[in-house]
Amino acid sequence: MSRLVVGPFNRVEGDLEVHLDVENGRVRSAEVSSPLYRGFEAMLIGRDPMDALTIAPRICGICSISQSAAAAQALAAAGGVQPAPQGALIAALIQAVENVCDHLTHFNLFFMPDFTRPCYAGRGWHRRALDRFTPAEGGAQRAALRARAELMHILGLLAGKWPHTLAIQPGGVTRAPDERDRTRIRATLRAFRDYLETTLFGAPVEEFIALATPADLMRWSRGDAGLFLEIAADLDLDTLGRGAGRYLSFGAYPLDGGPVFAPGLWQDGGLAPLDTAAIAEDLSHSWMLGPTAHPFAGDTRPDEAMREGAYSWCKAPRLNGQPAEVGALARQVIDGHPLAVALAGGGVLARVAGRLLELARTQIALERMAGAIRPAERFMIRTPPVREGQGAGLVAAARGALGHWVRIEGDVIASYQIIAPTTWNFSPRDAAGVPGPLEAALVGTPVAEGEETPIAVQHIVRSFDPCMVCTVH
Amino acid sequence: MSEIETFYEVMRRQGITRRSFMKFCSLTAAALGLGPAYVPKIAEAMETKPRTPVIWVHGLECTCCSESFIRAAHPLAKDVVLSMISLDYDDTLMAAAGKAAEDAMRDTIEKYKGNYILAVEGNPPLNEDGMYCIVGGRPFVEQLKEAAEHAKAIISWGACASYGCVQAAAPNPTRATPVHKVILDKPIIKVPGCPPIAEVMTGVITYMLTFDRMPELDRQGRPAMFYSQRIHDKCYRRPHFDAGQFVEHWDDENARKGYCLYKMGCKGPTTYNACSTVRWNDGVSFPIQSGHGCIGCSEDGFWDQGSFYDRVTDIKQFGIEANADKIGATAAGVTAGAVAVHAAVSALKRAQKKNEEK
Repeated sequence: MSRLVVGPFNRVEGDLEVHLDVENGRVRSAEVSSPLYRGFEAMLIGRDPMDALTIAPRICGICSISQSAAAAQALAAAGGVQPAPQGALIAALIQAVENVCDHLTHFNLFFMPDFTRPCYAGRGWHRRALDRFTPAEGGAQRAALRARAELMHILGLLAGKWPHTLAIQPGGVTRAPDERDRTRIRATLRAFRDYLETTLFGAPVEEFIALATPADLMRWSRGDAGLFLEIAADLDLDTLGRGAGRYLSFGAYPLDGGPVFAPGLWQDGGLAPLDTAAIAEDLSHSWMLGPTAHPFAGDTRPDEAMREGAYSWCKAPRLNGQPAEVGALARQVIDGHPLAVALAGGGVLARVAGRLLELARTQIALERMAGAIRPAERFMIRTPPVREGQGAGLVAAARGALGHWVRIEGDVIASYQIIAPTTWNFSPRDAAGVPGPLEAALVGTPVAEGEETPIAVQHIVRSFDPCMVCTVH
Repeated sequence: MSEIETFYEVMRRQGITRRSFMKFCSLTAAALGLGPAYVPKIAEAMETKPRTPVIWVHGLECTCCSESFIRAAHPLAKDVVLSMISLDYDDTLMAAAGKAAEDAMRDTIEKYKGNYILAVEGNPPLNEDGMYCIVGGRPFVEQLKEAAEHAKAIISWGACASYGCVQAAAPNPTRATPVHKVILDKPIIKVPGCPPIAEVMTGVITYMLTFDRMPELDRQGRPAMFYSQRIHDKCYRRPHFDAGQFVEHWDDENARKGYCLYKMGCKGPTTYNACSTVRWNDGVSFPIQSGHGCIGCSEDGFWDQGSFYDRVTDIKQFGIEANADKIGATAAGVTAGAVAVHAAVSALKRAQKKNEEK
């Protein structure tokens, strides 16, 4: 048996290291280590609760609006207020734009470039992969960057700047769009639909959304999505890095008529009720001190001795004592999309296809949200300062379920705990020795003789779209 | 160094046409505030000079600077700059991985010794011997020192590298430390902001690549061409400030009318950046235009100055600013004048801060 340390990983946000025990050309066990710690939760203690709106988003430069939304919702919950419905709509709209941009970045900039590597020279699709996905030069990369920058005009318009907006508040948003803004938003969304339909999917997004079975999916041959599916079939990406099929979603985009994607828990092939009180963070293999605790009761004290037996700054969140996978696939499975349900429990293919499916479905949701903007209505209600109370903000970040739990005592933050999507997916083992979702997914992965950074491991790690800066924060 | 291609050769190889190249030169001249006479100079420099290699490293940060950069307004400018710097080593965007990537960085350092620019995003945490940020099994601070040793200049991207930013917020759990406090023997240009504006980033790097020197810096080491004006002075809501028309609550009628956000804690009066002129996301907007005050994210220590919604109430400070305005008016667009004024105001602010701490 040999031990392999894979890392640093590039084309992931932040730093990551994976330790592999390899036996007979396969991974026997894996340990995932998050080597970056900044201590956001410690900084927030003792501050004015509203400071969370500026500090928490800076955990992450690519999902900062999700962090803003979670912080604003946690503060609203602590104060017992509901945002103005039109304010909630705008917050949902800009968050959805960010999520779409993140999915686009992941596919084009982070995930697909692995198929341009020399180890795939000779494959029928390699030439086309090079044309489309060579970093900074590939046609797909350039097109995606341009489409993304243009779509982000909506963030400029409604959020002031991106990354790190300040517009989302517990009572709504600071920016009340007028009729002209609404027209511009709709025009921008139409242009983005054009990009999706000419480049990424090569067909109307409705056609992609109508796919109901994996067999239908694998027949899709148009656009860059088609190239991915051709590669996925050739390399059998469905069996690579399969998950346990236990998914968690806090739902996405709470609007007046209910969320766009439903919250829930998926296990043993079916839906189950989600009880967020049953979430707890286990610290047995993490360089953190303290007992296993629900985020309202937990705190963050790094173990400066970096004790033996622990191997990551990341805590191990568990739901009813068990790990859960989060992400676009999890959201789409829990929302009941037939293709996603059929892909549940799948590996690299399922995760990437889940993201493409969510991209297509979110485009439709965005168009509907833009149509529902009513410039004459209020976008913010007045919220008194919160002196005492606690609340949770549970939202859908691009990479999966994101939660902020805040406790306010004597006008200041007494405790602030965050569980980010990659905290779930890349968690270390818990006290029972149960590995986190990525650690479990890596078991059985083929490692070729002499491979120092096994390509299959790279595909699996990136299929989760990790955000390491969020993971530990 | 003759084996290194010129910028123009690199661009041609990337399929950029002569026409686009000339357009880029005009854009660059405009972005840098240079007249049309500079266009042929820029073109000539790019045709004859070997490309300057860039190594881009990441410490404690959130990648927001990279995100801002790859979204730079003019697609042409971004494409050209990306191809120009070719990101000889960038761990967020490059194709190589793991050890191959680490080797690529060593090779780049070796090959271009003394000739490359080191771009730093984020900062090194120094507590626990740097163990809070590990890259390739080593503390980031070591990677940083190694890459800095043979760099000809360093760009500190964003508030993290320039000043520490939020991870240095009290109690600064990891002792996150800005680059210039770790690297003491290299010229460093600070491009603060959280993140900096994309066009400011491309502007700075284009200037350095084209003219092979640092742009003029203010006393804090920021490029004067982008950081010499107060948000407040170029703010489109300034007339409402002067007229005494203020937003009092987020949801009031005055908010809808776009009145001044000073009473909502806007830090525009004490912040130097290009937000109110260049704006964000392709010039679409900036925080004040979205109805929220400026938080001063390009100023040192913005994260630990009391609530972000506290008014800049210090009357004395406003007195100083009023003086600065008068002097600024006399200097009338002379950059050096504006910089001197800024330095004076900053010195006063520093003194004031000290007094408050006592």
